[in-house]
Amino acid sequence: MNIDLSRRGFLRLAGAGVAATSLGAMGFGGAEAAEQAHVRAFKLATTTETRNTCPYCSVACGIIMYSKGDVKAGETAELLHIEGDADHPTNRGTLCPKGAALKDFVHAPTRLTKPRYRAAGASDFQDITWEEALDKIARAMKDDRDANFIQANEAGVPVNRWTTTGFLAASATTNETAWLTYKTVRSMGIVGFDNQARV
Amino acid sequence: MNNSLKPDPSVIGGVPVAPLAFLPDAAAVFDKRAGRFAFLADHGGNLAPYMRFLADLTALQARLARELPSPVPIPSDRVELARSSRMPPIDRMALATDEGMHATLDRFLAEVAAVEMPEQARLALSAVTASGIADRHWLLENILSDRIPEDSAAPHLFVSAAVQLHLARLAGTLDGAKLVKIRTGTCPTCGGKPATSSVMGQAGIESTRYATCGCCATQWNEVRVVCLCCGSNAAISYRSAESGEATVKAEVCGDCKGWVKILYQVKNASLDPIADDVSSLGLDMLMKDTDFRRGGFNPFIAGY
Repeated sequence: MNIDLSRRGFLRLAGAGVAATSLGAMGFGGAEAAEQAHVRAFKLATTTETRNTCPYCSVACGIIMYSKGDVKAGETAELLHIEGDADHPTNRGTLCPKGAALKDFVHAPTRLTKPRYRAAGASDFQDITWEEALDKIARAMKDDRDANFIQANEAGVPVNRWTTTGFLAASATTNETAWLTYKTVRSMGIVGFDNQARV
Repeated sequence: MNNSLKPDPSVIGGVPVAPLAFLPDAAAVFDKRAGRFAFLADHGGNLAPYMRFLADLTALQARLARELPSPVPIPSDRVELARSSRMPPIDRMALATDEGMHATLDRFLAEVAAVEMPEQARLALSAVTASGIADRHWLLENILSDRIPEDSAAPHLFVSAAVQLHLARLAGTLDGAKLVKIRTGTCPTCGGKPATSSVMGQAGIESTRYATCGCCATQWNEVRVVCLCCGSNAAISYRSAESGEATVKAEVCGDCKGWVKILYQVKNASLDPIADDVSSLGLDMLMKDTDFRRGGFNPFIAGY
């Protein structure tokens, strides 16, 4: 609120004019002081509300995520609640049952948070680095493409199809990410492909 | 039957669009607010005496909203001009010299003397009542610019109550459909600053946010998690006293260092945008010790 020094001496009434707050100036200074003493025991806690996009399907509903603690201020944040974003033009605050259960998806003990690998014949998964994981994926894709890539159909017309590998990309991507994903995947000839750019 | 080939997702139901603004029905707004102030006063707490005084003051606003002659509506060509220039239809600066505004102020000052109040407040009231036309212009101009000089909060409180009364009634004569969005944090009816904003609970607009004008009581839609002082959404966080689930929080902007109170009516439907701004003065006291400055305009708690 703007507080400016008054140029009107006439309204600076003896006593009343000294207090800078409404309560003090109106003669409720006692109540104000009591409240001030009462709140001294309290500390301010920070919560956040963060916009995001539901990662489940290509409808890409807007969500608001409520957390305790502010990551930007160096604190650790704990996710408390997720609800539909009422301002979002796609879903206007609504969510499907899967979207409505997103908080449990985030907190799930079985949630995949790093790449894991189960070797052929092994019974258990083992953690691997992103480096190793991407190398393995690239190797597998290259081998499959070399073996099964279709350059031309029966009539000899060039088609450049790769039908033995599919690609599924997330919905919570930006237009730019979606565009890049589309170009990367299609330029390799992959036919079986779905991502946000479809919508 | 709908013969159009155009898709109409609204018929599926459950996805109503939040209207831009709700114009005040002055008597109803002040009735509800007075009731809330009275409830808060009866509920006790350190601020109870001030709540009682504001309950009486607001009840008077409600009574006068019914008794005063209807305000002269804004001419339709002015409304159209404002609309085409994306300006608010109520020109607040012109109101400082408006006859209707001064008549409302006169009547209000005469009636408010019957309200029980401390000696200091009565002294301020008599100073305003005795003030001449030039001084009244000055007082009105300050309130109509969302400004309260730090050395005369008390005289301005009485004038602001009369301004709230007149502007809420004037806003009530407008057509809400003719309002246009001006910019974040600016009332589409009078151009005023918000006192607080509320996350609504009513069916159809559930979880949307409406800011309440500290001047004319219009409630207008604002996108959530956006600073009402500067419009930025990059560094918003919320502060509240550490006491479990808070229904009143400070929406803090790390960009402009401003903050405005946000009331979660979706959790407590009784919250009033003005009354509960006063009742949560403790939050203002805690926020005053931070680097952030209050952005909401509420003449009942000037100085925070």
